[in-house]
Amino acid sequence: MSLAPHTLARVFWRCLFLQAAWNPRGMQNLGFAYAIDPALRELYPDPAARQAALARHLGFFNSHPYMAAAIVGGAIHHEERVARGEEAADQPLTYKATLQGPLAAVGDGFFWTALRPAFGAAAALGALVLGWPALVAAVLLYNAVHLWLRFRLLRDGYLHGDEVVLDIRALCLPAWADRVRLTAAVLAGLAAALLVDRSAGGLAGGLLTAGAAVAGFYLLGRKAPLLPLAYAALLAGVAVGLLGGGS
Amino acid sequence: MGLLVLAAVAGLAAVERRGFLQAMLSRPVILGPLCGLALGDLGAGLLLGAVLELLFLGAVSLGASMALHETVATAAIAGGAALAGQRLGGQQVAVAALAVAVGLPLAIAGRLAEAAFDKGNQRLDERARRLLLAGDARGAMRCNLLGLAAPFALSALLAPLGAAAIGAAATLLLTAVPRLARPLELAFAAFAALACAAAARSLRTARAPFFFFGSAGTLLVILALGRLHR
Repeated sequence: MSLAPHTLARVFWRCLFLQAAWNPRGMQNLGFAYAIDPALRELYPDPAARQAALARHLGFFNSHPYMAAAIVGGAIHHEERVARGEEAADQPLTYKATLQGPLAAVGDGFFWTALRPAFGAAAALGALVLGWPALVAAVLLYNAVHLWLRFRLLRDGYLHGDEVVLDIRALCLPAWADRVRLTAAVLAGLAAALLVDRSAGGLAGGLLTAGAAVAGFYLLGRKAPLLPLAYAALLAGVAVGLLGGGS
Repeated sequence: MGLLVLAAVAGLAAVERRGFLQAMLSRPVILGPLCGLALGDLGAGLLLGAVLELLFLGAVSLGASMALHETVATAAIAGGAALAGQRLGGQQVAVAALAVAVGLPLAIAGRLAEAAFDKGNQRLDERARRLLLAGDARGAMRCNLLGLAAPFALSALLAPLGAAAIGAAATLLLTAVPRLARPLELAFAAFAALACAAAARSLRTARAPFFFFGSAGTLLVILALGRLHR
């Protein structure tokens, strides 16, 4: 492995802009090329070879923005071999095409539908109980996990190439995701209880909030759209208040 | 001055939401207090941020599917509630209900604008390819960063405008019809309850509802027993 550490650091920084110019045709293609560009500059001193390498990374790419770090690292691993003449020029593209879908599924399942909602629920509960210090703690903790994983995936992808799949499997993210979701459900439930306890007044208020929660849960399960339901809840509250309830 | 700070915060949050970093800074629970603070009412931002976070807990763009734009809506709602709360000297919960009622459509407007920006980014893609063919690799790569401009501009424009509109509407209505305050408090309670239900629904695992309602019910019972004991 020959890439200078500061080049890898620049690639990591640029990985954070992966979706800056997301578009329906190439999706994260521009972001991927932007991220890998510093490595290609170092690997291909000849401008024509560098341009050709950059052009092949402008093809379609779409994955989870955090997990994509592993693919960027692995693509650099393959580009090093291409630059040394040990591999055909299409190998980095095969690597990208093979991994982008499965890693998108793993990332969406763990980060977007488990870890982030859990931290969101924890932060909401913390905001209600402790105020802003809880928010600072939640953001710091989330990003300690997020940035550490993102950097580790980039490094492992670069060092191990195709073997990065084994490193990712060892993280057991799908198994963790279910536990994290259940933790999120408990935290959201506690936040819900606090909100209902603080905002409902009197018997009518209590019945109103309980009704809104149960009806909302049922209707959202039947795929009712969220915002119309929000207005229905607001109107129901006003109606109950005007009719003299909850005083 | 406060609205300018709000514009900057909302613009940066819109960039962070999808184009750069994605470190939770644009989530309602963090952005709400920041926007409330920008306009002098941290408390309104904390309350609204927590409730909107639960409402939008499942808001996530997966692949080409696009979620409601919770960031621009939160910035306008929290900012507007802070403005109105200061003018009225309190009535935080009633103001929060009005802010939500006026500001929620911005989540749809933001989503529509984002879809249009994505299509516009195809022109950046074409431009990058042209520049690369012409031998300007650095210029081609800069095209990626240009994609951040439109989301910033949209949110920096919509959030302060929305906040000003919400602030004016809430102040006018509660000054003209003060007896609406109590019904609006109940409206916010019902809205918060719905937000909690949305949070429970957003957690995609079969056992999530049991854990959600179990923990909520347990805490409500403990709080009620504590009140009885006192």
